Amino acid sequence: MGEAAKGETKITDQGLDGGVGRLDESRIREVINTVLKNETGARLKTYVETCIHCGLCSEACHYYLSNDKDPAFSPVGKVKRTLWEMLKRKGKVTPAFIREAAVVAHTECNLCKRCAQYCPFGIDIAYLMSVVRRIVHRLGCTPLYIQDTANSHSVHMNQMWVKGDEWPDTLQWQEEEAQAEIPALRIPLEKEGADIMYSVIAPEPKFQAQLIYQAAVIMDVAGVNWTMPASMGWDNSDMAMFTGDNELMGRLKRTHFETAARLKVKKIIMGECGHAFRSVYDTGNRWLGWRVPPFQIVHAIEFYYDLIKSGRIKIKTKYPHAVTLHDPCNVSRGAGLHDKARFVAKAVAAEFVEMEPNREHNYCCAAGGGAINCGPPYKMKRLQGNKVKAEQLFAAKTRGAGVLIAPCHNCHSGLHDILHHYGIGLDIKFLGDIIYEVMEKPA
Amino acid sequence: MKKSIGSILILCTIFLFGWVSVHSQEEMEVVDNSVFDQPRRTSSLFMHDDHNESAGIEECHVCHHVYEDGELLEDESSEDSSCSECHEIDASGDMPGLMMAYHLNCKGCHLKEKKGPVLCGECHHK
Amino acid sequence: MHTAYDMLTGPCAWTAFILFFGGCLYRLIKMLWLVWKKERFIFSYMSLRYSLRSLVHWMVPFMAVNWRRQPVLTIATFAFHLCLILTPLFVSAHIILWEEAWQFSWWMLPDGLADAMTMVVIVCAGYFFIRRLVSPEVRYVTGPSDWIILSIVAAPFISGFLAYHQWFAYRFFTMFHIFSGEVMLVAIPFTRLSHMIISPFTRAYMGSEFGKIRHARDW
Repeated sequence: MGEAAKGETKITDQGLDGGVGRLDESRIREVINTVLKNETGARLKTYVETCIHCGLCSEACHYYLSNDKDPAFSPVGKVKRTLWEMLKRKGKVTPAFIREAAVVAHTECNLCKRCAQYCPFGIDIAYLMSVVRRIVHRLGCTPLYIQDTANSHSVHMNQMWVKGDEWPDTLQWQEEEAQAEIPALRIPLEKEGADIMYSVIAPEPKFQAQLIYQAAVIMDVAGVNWTMPASMGWDNSDMAMFTGDNELMGRLKRTHFETAARLKVKKIIMGECGHAFRSVYDTGNRWLGWRVPPFQIVHAIEFYYDLIKSGRIKIKTKYPHAVTLHDPCNVSRGAGLHDKARFVAKAVAAEFVEMEPNREHNYCCAAGGGAINCGPPYKMKRLQGNKVKAEQLFAAKTRGAGVLIAPCHNCHSGLHDILHHYGIGLDIKFLGDIIYEVMEKPA
Repeated sequence: MKKSIGSILILCTIFLFGWVSVHSQEEMEVVDNSVFDQPRRTSSLFMHDDHNESAGIEECHVCHHVYEDGELLEDESSEDSSCSECHEIDASGDMPGLMMAYHLNCKGCHLKEKKGPVLCGECHHK
Repeated sequence: MHTAYDMLTGPCAWTAFILFFGGCLYRLIKMLWLVWKKERFIFSYMSLRYSLRSLVHWMVPFMAVNWRRQPVLTIATFAFHLCLILTPLFVSAHIILWEEAWQFSWWMLPDGLADAMTMVVIVCAGYFFIRRLVSPEVRYVTGPSDWIILSIVAAPFISGFLAYHQWFAYRFFTMFHIFSGEVMLVAIPFTRLSHMIISPFTRAYMGSEFGKIRHARDW
């Protein structure tokens, strides 16, 4: 069995404890070997047989850097604690080992792929962690909270148990709110043939409805021909991708794409969410057999960039604070949108302070990849596991930054926690928050 | 006294010259590698008579072969000429270059007979 | 002695060369076949341009961020691999043996330089050995196989160095040098030393994904 990380106390998690309780070794062996045999191929084999155990991936990982360089938290250390052991023992591992593997893969790795940039061989360690998540999923041993969001996906095709009628209801509510500001504003529902389908993640209608309001104002002012679906398929989020429930991921993305197809839109624009972008742009489409997504997928960063660049959104007065920018893994390392994000940030804010490291090399928020979705039991572990981020943010603050822009929901929530836990004293905003605040609006 | 020292010196000089001039295979200790421009290795140790005695070689042509048009001429011997008279530094046609000729001739025989040195440093002592 | 030498430079050498070249070919074909059979999508993401972009950035010292972060390791690893590959191919003693056997030869390194390059390999192997021992993140993931493959690689160079200088037991080290060289050749395709042939492909794939889909740098 792989060595556990130093000083790690066992965190109670009903999903894991209940799941492990139902396991026996023959079932574990069967599932591990079935997944390895049927669902993995050249990548897993080649990565494991090529890795020279040099440890060069270590310093890529915020968990490693934040936990006093405990080697158990290095990317390769986490592979050792999970897959190496499963492979070496040909699947003959204990239920306790599976529990530990689930903890490692779900709460000690955000699948941010920074390590892939640090491995001289380009070994995709995040992929190996995804395989571990797939195995523990097939064993019914997934942390409770994230499994709950996956269950919500399965029932309602959204992440937050938003019921069928609650969705259009929320949109209508925000439309009415916004009409107080811009009387003619509409949130067009089910508008067939619109240029754009705007999709969001379920936390927006659930408890961040003002983001929909702001997006509606931006769309309206920019004169965009847009729509939102009234049916399932409006939610672009995807926790199934992170629990290893690929079948459910496929259902979600199919629903999303088919909704866009039904509405005959030209492209899908999505809110400031990273993991959803990963799912729609890179992962879910592949599961469905699309080499590239069947629709043009535009992340909010790129959308704002186009609006500002083309002058469809004009800045009235710049945001009077020095801002710094956190590059989310899924849109920076995942889609190279970091320079567009900088363009937008510099266009809307009076001063821009660079974070170090930045762009593709930015440190992860430690919330993404499903980690924050594993819920309160792991909150302290997540915060302690990202001390290095706190130091990075604090350094940006000492260079004058007052506001942190995090154009991704998971990053936003995770960084919010970090700012508070470490008392860094930066405000945190979405790009949309600031654009809404500083843009020219009809009087 | 001075006279005797002088005569000793003269004797020594005569002996030295005589030694060099009469130096032949009987006293040969190394293979002459002076034809090589900048030899990479020391000359091979080779005591001609001791070698032949212990190897039981009585015929010169065993080593001092003669080839004509690529054919070995049986019983023809070339012991009067030095190897480099035929074998140039570089190989020409089927005829190996001088170094290869030594290697193939010596090492080749040693391997065949399972006797004698075959590793680089066994001949080329540091 | 002669029988052993005959074996080592005859059947063993042939076996080593066949297993090395055949094994490398086998590994490559097996990898591609596995991609074809189970992850065929990989082919559709491969891009020559981005593969080369990635390979160049990682094959030039200090061009990748992580190389710059680890200057000592970077110098050691580049010097090690360069000398490891070039020395056996261009050292005079090997070329002379090939010429004796197959009548062909090519440019050879000056002996002094080859000797220095051998020392570089040995010193760097020592560095890797120490690094494995003292660096916690490396130590943690080091198992018996790591010591074995490091030894397999170091052995022909240490024995070759001793043999060249004719120090200690000359015959033993020369014979061991030949043997350990053959062991290394055979080990390349069948151990994690196969990174020699496989890593350009993993690098190229990551480079392609980063270039074509992620529009980001993977170095």
